[in-house]
Amino acid sequence: MSPTASPGPGSAPGRDGDGADAIVLVVDDEPPIIRALSAALTARGYRPTIATNGEGALAAATQQTPAAIILDLGLPDIDGIEVLRRIRDWSDVPVIVLTAEGAEDRKIRALDDGADDYVTKPFSTPELLARLRVALRHRRAADPAAEPLEEPVLAVGDLRIDVPHRMVEVDGRSVDLTPKEFAFLTLLARHAGKVLTHRMILQEVWGPEYGTESEYLRVYASQLRKKLQDDPARPRLITEPGVGYRLVDRDL
Amino acid sequence: MTSKATRRLLGSGLGLALIGGAVLALLPARDSVTVATPALVLIVPGIVAGFVGGRVVGALMAMLSAVVLDVVFIEPYGRLDVHVTDDLVSLAAFIAVAVSVAALVERVNDRRRAAEQRAEEILALSEEKERFRREQERLSVEKQALERIEDARRALLRSVSHDLRTPLATIQAITSDLRDGTVYDPDTRKELLDLVGDEAERLDRLVANLLSMSRIEAGALHPDIQAVALDELVTDRAQRLARVLRDVRLDASIPPDLPLVDADYTLLDQVLTNLIENAVRHTPPGDAILVEARIAGAMVEVAVSDHGAGVPAAERAQVFEPFWRGDESRSSGLGLAICKAVVEAHGGRITVADAEDGVGARFAFTVPIHQATVEPARERTP
Repeated sequence: MSPTASPGPGSAPGRDGDGADAIVLVVDDEPPIIRALSAALTARGYRPTIATNGEGALAAATQQTPAAIILDLGLPDIDGIEVLRRIRDWSDVPVIVLTAEGAEDRKIRALDDGADDYVTKPFSTPELLARLRVALRHRRAADPAAEPLEEPVLAVGDLRIDVPHRMVEVDGRSVDLTPKEFAFLTLLARHAGKVLTHRMILQEVWGPEYGTESEYLRVYASQLRKKLQDDPARPRLITEPGVGYRLVDRDL
Repeated sequence: MTSKATRRLLGSGLGLALIGGAVLALLPARDSVTVATPALVLIVPGIVAGFVGGRVVGALMAMLSAVVLDVVFIEPYGRLDVHVTDDLVSLAAFIAVAVSVAALVERVNDRRRAAEQRAEEILALSEEKERFRREQERLSVEKQALERIEDARRALLRSVSHDLRTPLATIQAITSDLRDGTVYDPDTRKELLDLVGDEAERLDRLVANLLSMSRIEAGALHPDIQAVALDELVTDRAQRLARVLRDVRLDASIPPDLPLVDADYTLLDQVLTNLIENAVRHTPPGDAILVEARIAGAMVEVAVSDHGAGVPAAERAQVFEPFWRGDESRSSGLGLAICKAVVEAHGGRITVADAEDGVGARFAFTVPIHQATVEPARERTP
C-alpha cells in the first residue's frame, strides 16, 4: 500500500510537466481499486494518497492539499456529492468523480456541483489519467493571478478563437458563426478538454432562466460540427450522452 | 300491484257497507230530518272509500252516495229525479271531497314510499361504500406486498450489479493500464496480476452464490448427501481462500476423532466459504478468525468466529434474510441467506451470537452425524 519511490522515469507520461510529482488524493472504499490506482499513479510520477471514506477524504483534502482528487461517489459514510460540495466550500482543487454506470443524474449533479470531470466504472486507467492531466493543466493555467476571465485569444489544436474580434479560424481558414454559436464554442474552448453539462451551457449562453432545453444544444452542436468541418470519427466537439459537451484538442 | 287492487277492493267494500249502513240507519227517520242530515252522512262513505281505495274508488262511491241520496232521501222517494242544480252540486261536492281526501292520502303514501325507498337506497349505498372500503383496503395491502417484492427485486439488482461491477472495475483498471504499456517493477506487476486473479475469484464466488440463490428461490435446492470429513473440507477451503486470508490468520480447531457428517460437499463448502469470507470482512488485518467443530447430540456443530463489531441482538434474525446488508456495503446480502437455506436443507440450524462477551460474531451451524450403520445401502460418491 505504501506509495514508495516511483519506478523508472521512462514509464511516466506525466513527465511533460502535467503535474508529475503532484499529490493525488484517491477516495474509494474498495481496497483493490485503490491499490490499482495507486500503482498506476505512482508509475507516472504522481504521489498518491488514500482515503477510504468521506471523512477521511475531507481530512486528507485539508491536511495534504492534493493537486487533484479522484473521488468515488459511492462512499460508506458521507455521500460523494456531499464530500465534493464541502471541498468546494473552500477549495477549487480539480476533482474527477468515479460513478457507477447508469447513474447519469449523479454525474450531472456532481458536475453542476463543481466536479471537473467524471469517469464511469468500470473505467480504463489510461483514460482516467488523461482526464487527470487535463484537469491539472487547467487548474495550473487558471492559477496565476486568479483566473484571467477574458483571455482574448483561445487556441484548441488548430482551432483559434479571437474573442474581441469575434473571429474563428480552423487551420487558418475563417469560419462564420452566429452569435449563439460563437458563445457556445467560446465557452467550450475556455474549458477545453472538460465536460460542461447541458445546464451550464444553457445558463451561460442563453441565460439564467434556461437549463432544461438541451434540444437547443443538439441543433447548435451539429451546426458547429458542420461549420468546423469536424471529422465524424474524431470530432473536436464531443457529445457526452445525457450529460453535456466537451471540446477536445484532436492532436492530443 | 296486488296491494293496490286489494286496497281498491277493500275501499269499495267499505264504501258499499257504509252506504248500506247509512241507508238502513237513516231510512226510518227520513221524514223527520232535513235532507242535509243524510247528505252529510253520505259524504262519509266516499271519504272512507277514497282514504282506503284511492281516488277512483272514492269518486265511484261518492257518485253512488249521491245517487242513493237522491233516490232514498229526496222526494219523490224511490226514483232518480234529477234536479239539475241541487243534485249536481251535491254530486260535485261528494266527488270533490272524496277525491281530495284520496289525493291527500295518496300524496302522503307516495311521500312515505319515497322516504322508505330513499332510506333503502341510503342503506344500500352505505353497504356499497363499506364494500368499496374493504376492497380498497385489500388492494392497498396487496399493493404494499407488491411494493415490498419490487423493493427487494430492486435491492437485489442494485447489490448484484454493484457486486459484479466492483471486481470488474479493478480488473479493467489494471488490464487497461498494463495494455497501455505501463512499466512496473516485478513486485508491483505481480501484485497487480494477483489483484486481477483475486477479483476474478471474487466474481466466481459471487456467481456461485447467485446460482445457489436462484435455486433456493425456485425451490430446487436438493442436497446430494454423502459422508463428508470436515477437517479435510476446512483445510481445503482455507488453502483456496489463501489470497482472501492474506492479512488474516485462520485458526482451525477440529478434533481428530470428529465423526463424518451427512452433507452435500459442494453446498457445505459454500456455507463455510461464505462464513469465512464474512468473518474476514469484519476482521482487521493481522487478527485471526477461528473455525471450530464439536459434537452436539446427533449433530456436529461448526462455528466460525471473528473479533469484529459483532451482530447487534436486534439484527440477529435479519442477518439471514436475503439481501440484508449491515453497515458495510461490501457484502452482497446473499451469503448468509444461502447459508441458512443450505443448513436447513440438511436438517440443521444456523445461529449467530457474540464470539465473546460483547465482542465479535460467532456463526454456528449444525449438520447431522453420518449414520453409516443405519443405512448401509445408501449410495456414496467417494
